[in-house]
Amino acid sequence: MTCAEFQRVLPDFLDEGGAGELQAHLNVCPICSALVASLQSIINEARMLQDSVEPSPRVWNSIEIALRREGLIRQPQPQHRAILPSLTRRWGYAAWLVPTAAAMLVGAAFFLYQRPANHRRVADNSHPQVMSSIPSGNASDTSDEQLLQEVSARAPMMRTAYESNLRDVNAYIRDAQDSVNANPNDAEAQQALMDAYGQKSMIYEMALDRSLQ
Amino acid sequence: MTDRKDQKADGLSEAQAIERAKQGDGEAFEFLYNLHKRRVYSLCLRMTANTAEAEDLTQEAFLQLFRKIGTFRGESAFSTWLHRMAVNVVLMHLRKKGLPVVSLEETTEGDEDTPKKDFGADDPVLSGSVDRLRLQNAVDRLPPGYRTIFVLHDVEGYEHNEIATMIGCSIGNSKSQLHKARMKLRDFLKTSRAEKAG
Repeated sequence: MTCAEFQRVLPDFLDEGGAGELQAHLNVCPICSALVASLQSIINEARMLQDSVEPSPRVWNSIEIALRREGLIRQPQPQHRAILPSLTRRWGYAAWLVPTAAAMLVGAAFFLYQRPANHRRVADNSHPQVMSSIPSGNASDTSDEQLLQEVSARAPMMRTAYESNLRDVNAYIRDAQDSVNANPNDAEAQQALMDAYGQKSMIYEMALDRSLQ
Repeated sequence: MTDRKDQKADGLSEAQAIERAKQGDGEAFEFLYNLHKRRVYSLCLRMTANTAEAEDLTQEAFLQLFRKIGTFRGESAFSTWLHRMAVNVVLMHLRKKGLPVVSLEETTEGDEDTPKKDFGADDPVLSGSVDRLRLQNAVDRLPPGYRTIFVLHDVEGYEHNEIATMIGCSIGNSKSQLHKARMKLRDFLKTSRAEKAG
């Protein structure tokens, strides 16, 4: 067997091995033998690349946020410690800002959900006036921006993920509010709005409890 | 490919974690993620040679899997399912970027266009072991088409018939591209070794 003939079947030889004539050629040809050895060392080392690196923590963080937003994680987060005492330690002057904002959001949802029936009838005719008494989006935007500023300061690599998720959940809230505006008596629409606020509250809680160590 | 079905950590097996994840257990999802993150991320990184893209694709692969976890029945290994999903995510990403998933130097089986000019040279610099870091750098330098085939076959362990199906090429083409990828890596490694010595 010549070197050219061996070279022609070299790919199959490396993957499947070979006997007889192929091995006999290698035994007497130092050039082909050296080539096979170098390629084999590459193949052997390649397997070591299989799980040699690890992604940054932001990957799981983004996955978890998405899973919670989509309702695939349905169990409450474990409360390892009281949130309030840890806030001052980690958030300093902004300690009361974020949970206040989250509570305000949830409170707004409860306000909407608990409206008495007569107000609902009034809302059928004049719901813009009723809806205007719910806290405006401005306070929510301010809270979001402050949260993102804190994230930028403490865990900049996670800002993009939180920004994206806040954008999505705010869009969800707007859509849910529009549905309630159009159908104030629709219990499903009201539940959807509650869920939307709940998801936003979850994002804030996650930022406090999991992401910003 | 490795099947870690019986992996145990903190008393939880993969099978138990899967069942809990189906019920919405967040810790179960995290357990499954930690069990497979290195493998998936390494695959994405090797095929894209870009850490930011690799992280985004890792996230996407796991999300796609977790969204469908309710349909997992255990007929095949969970890791196999996840891994195949990750490969599809990466290949779709490469196609969207307009990068050739298969090298443009497509050849048919039986082609003899191998680098004969190197064939006659002695190759002492690569005898013995190959430095893993240099190999990583060399893989990153491969053209995307070569890199895809090399990663899928030599790193991840897919067979040529599987690669051909995933990428949409012939088995002969897969073999040919793999051989060229290996020869190119050999060239890169020889060059870097020579630069280091010089």
